[in-house]
Amino acid sequence: MDLLQGTLDMLVLRTLLAGSLHGYGIAKTIRSTSNEALDIEFGSLYPALKRLEAKGWIASGWETSEHNRRAKYYRLTAAGRKHLVREHSKWADFVSAVGRIMGTLPEARG
Amino acid sequence: MTIRNRLKYLSPAWRRREERDMREELESLTAIAGSGELGNLTLAMEDVRATWGWTWLESIFADIRYSLRAQRRQPAFAAVAVLSLALAIGANSAIFSFADALLLRPLPVANPTAVFDVTSTTPDNPFEGMSFPDYRDLRDKSRSFSGLAAYRLTTLAAAANPAAPAQMRFAALVSDNYFPVVGVTPSAGRAFLPDETAQPVAMVSYDFWQQNYAGSQSAIGSALRLNGIVFTIVGVTPASFTGLDRFAYPSIFVPLGMSQRLNGAPADPLEDRGRHDLVVKGRLSAGASKESAHAELAIIGAALAREYPKSNRNRHMSVRTELQRRIQQSPQLLALAKMLMGLVALILIIACSNVANLLLARARARSREIAIRLSIGAGRSRVVRQLMTESLIVALAGGAAGLFVAYGGIALLDMQSVPSDPPFVLGVQLDWRVVEFSLLAALASCIFFGLAPAWQAARTDFVSALKAGGGGASGKRRTFGRDVLVAGQIALAMVVLIAAGMFLAGFRNLLVMPPEFRTDHLISLDTAPALVHYSPEQTMAFYRRLVDRVRTLAGVAGVAMTESLPLSPSQTAVNVAPEGYQFPKGREKEIEFGAAVDAAYFRTLHVEIKRGRAFTDDDRAGSRRVAIVNQQFVKTYWPGQDPIGKRVRVESMDGMGGPAAEVVGVAKTGHYLAVNEAPAPYVYVPYEQNPRSRMTLIVESVGDAGALAKPLRDAVRSIDGNMPVFNLRPVAALYESRVTDTWLNCFQMVGTMGFIGLALATTGLYGLVAYTVSRRVKEFGIRVAVGATRRDVVWLVERRGLILAGVGIAIGAALTAAATPMLAASFPGLGVSSPAVYALIPLVLLMVSAVASYVPARRAAGLDPLRALRNE
Repeated sequence: MDLLQGTLDMLVLRTLLAGSLHGYGIAKTIRSTSNEALDIEFGSLYPALKRLEAKGWIASGWETSEHNRRAKYYRLTAAGRKHLVREHSKWADFVSAVGRIMGTLPEARG
Repeated sequence: MTIRNRLKYLSPAWRRREERDMREELESLTAIAGSGELGNLTLAMEDVRATWGWTWLESIFADIRYSLRAQRRQPAFAAVAVLSLALAIGANSAIFSFADALLLRPLPVANPTAVFDVTSTTPDNPFEGMSFPDYRDLRDKSRSFSGLAAYRLTTLAAAANPAAPAQMRFAALVSDNYFPVVGVTPSAGRAFLPDETAQPVAMVSYDFWQQNYAGSQSAIGSALRLNGIVFTIVGVTPASFTGLDRFAYPSIFVPLGMSQRLNGAPADPLEDRGRHDLVVKGRLSAGASKESAHAELAIIGAALAREYPKSNRNRHMSVRTELQRRIQQSPQLLALAKMLMGLVALILIIACSNVANLLLARARARSREIAIRLSIGAGRSRVVRQLMTESLIVALAGGAAGLFVAYGGIALLDMQSVPSDPPFVLGVQLDWRVVEFSLLAALASCIFFGLAPAWQAARTDFVSALKAGGGGASGKRRTFGRDVLVAGQIALAMVVLIAAGMFLAGFRNLLVMPPEFRTDHLISLDTAPALVHYSPEQTMAFYRRLVDRVRTLAGVAGVAMTESLPLSPSQTAVNVAPEGYQFPKGREKEIEFGAAVDAAYFRTLHVEIKRGRAFTDDDRAGSRRVAIVNQQFVKTYWPGQDPIGKRVRVESMDGMGGPAAEVVGVAKTGHYLAVNEAPAPYVYVPYEQNPRSRMTLIVESVGDAGALAKPLRDAVRSIDGNMPVFNLRPVAALYESRVTDTWLNCFQMVGTMGFIGLALATTGLYGLVAYTVSRRVKEFGIRVAVGATRRDVVWLVERRGLILAGVGIAIGAALTAAATPMLAASFPGLGVSSPAVYALIPLVLLMVSAVASYVPARRAAGLDPLRALRNE
């Protein structure tokens, strides 16, 4: 499933709302939360993380993981939280608008 | 993203840290997720680096690095391209600077575009100028100008130190508002005060201040003797202000009201409405235009003409731009500047097509490399950019090298000078406008020659290019565009060479043209009794004593006097009214060159008397007034009549003269202002009947004329120690500098351009032929293998070069036929079409082309057929 432009940023921010995660953790969480529908390549995710960090929406720091391994963890900043709220309402508007147009398809006939 | 962040990305330390951090992070994640799970990490890292911005900058750096590397691999290509551009851009900059010094440079004043020249002329008198009373009336009545300033350029004898001998210096006598109007503020001291219009106060130029006072503040308030009058220095003009005249830079500025005292004149010249010797510059007031100012002055001028018919009848006031004024004063300079700039423009075109040709050849040779780059995924725009970067580097290097060439050229041009005391300055200098011009030329040529090859290369069909392995399709169709370029180069080179040849032919005519007077064994000197306040009687007595004293000096064979020496930069104009001549309507006199001379003049200078007699000692004050005219005078005013016994009224420009004189002799027509001038009428009057305030002494020496310099100076000093002596030099030196140097310089410039044009066109031809040979290696190999001789191969290659040259010469001949009448019309006496030039230049071009093609032809013939066939 391909992602719309800008959607990946929103997914990452939403995922980090729950708590800080390392890069691979974010990818895994998005995959499992979407019931494997969204399998995001780490190669695309990683540059997105760096971009979000540069914009100041997420911040990173070295921590020790559950398996006692060091990894870089990303967390949402206050600015990121604000941005997520903005994006979320835009997204909701967009989905409901598209939903009204699409509705349910009439039964295809013969 | 903030600017600060973006700048941070530029820091190598930050990048190193970030890079290290990224690697660690990815390693740790690989350890957690297991290898392979994370995909292509190299690409991910590259994508991250891309977010650091500036990749466009980095790729440009990469382009530049790559281009420099490519340039190093082919040093000959780079050298030829850069040299071509350097010569063309250098020549363009030098000529532009030259034209700038001759004509174009704006006045060194604040906001020069608002300053206009105001002058008055009558149909009788092409010499322009304004009288002080007219100036005063204009200044009072005109509303178009926020300020009108008047000045007169003159020479003064200046002595900073009472003990030192006076030096002749250019000086400007200026109206009280001169400095405010031009917008120049003193760099030390102050400008003139409104109540100092006739006070002995002076401002000195920055150079004069440095030379005589070592730039000391104590100069302000100190005394300066000008023509023997003590002035007080009140200020110093800035170094950037060189006065309002192009070649004469004033060292001293004094109030115009001091004119009468400085000249020792019996009447105040400022009250004479008939004396038109002021230059007036006006700064337009806001809202006025040149046209409105002109219209207003026309009305004021007409009112003045009604009020003062004696001096102002037919006198028209006009407002001109500085450039219009310069062009009107010296139309020849405009023609010279136009021609030189036209020629260098041709050189620039030749050089650009040369570089275009080189780049095209190289783009073709690199088509395989480009094909590989395209096939492994380089974008076409990226390839085009790469090629553009390469030509840009060549253009910039050419521009930089061109500046050095320009510096050299300008240094050469600036050595040109007119020998006089004080010296005239041409003032050719490389300024920033020239630098901009040169860079612009470089960039324009880069776009000109960089785009075509880049575009062509990016169109490359890379599959066939890879397959052909650089062998390419048949050479003929593919080089058609380049053939046109080379033929065009040869055609343009031919035009440049013919112009140079015409100059050479004309120049030879100048050299063999006799001066029509003797120049050897003569030395001349100027004195100026008026500067030390002699009365007319004292002046006459002084010259009598001087001639008597000099005649007795050892080594002197003869002495003569004239008002102006032929070919010296200052010639005297006189009003003439020849008897029986039908003047055009509205005129009653004509202006011609003329001089008061003494009885020994014709004998000493060997000016031939064709009919009648020369002046004798009997032609003196009380006797019958006589005159001698030259042959051209007779032709102009009394065609087909006997001039002897005719009467002519001759008066000097300030109205001095008297009753008509009788023509007693006809002198041979000579050259008066320049050797290449059209034959001009000239009139001589005897000095004793027409005393002048300043005469030139001509001394004939037995031995070396230069050896008399010191005894002559001493002779003047022994009569009056304060008398300034200047322009003391052998007549031959004056003649050479006036005839040889000036034209030699022009000729050298044009000759150099011809040579550059030839060299560039030859390089172009050679490059094309050599390229063709390299493309046809296989074909030549086959030809040799099936029995072609060396001579066949040489001829095959040679033929191509000669055909190109032939076509170029044919086009060049057509262009020349169109251009030569223009040249010949602009330069009387020069540019005489000589058949030898027309025959010689095509021959030279053919020979040079043959040689240029022979070098690659020999290489082609020397190919080993086996190796040639294996070559690809």
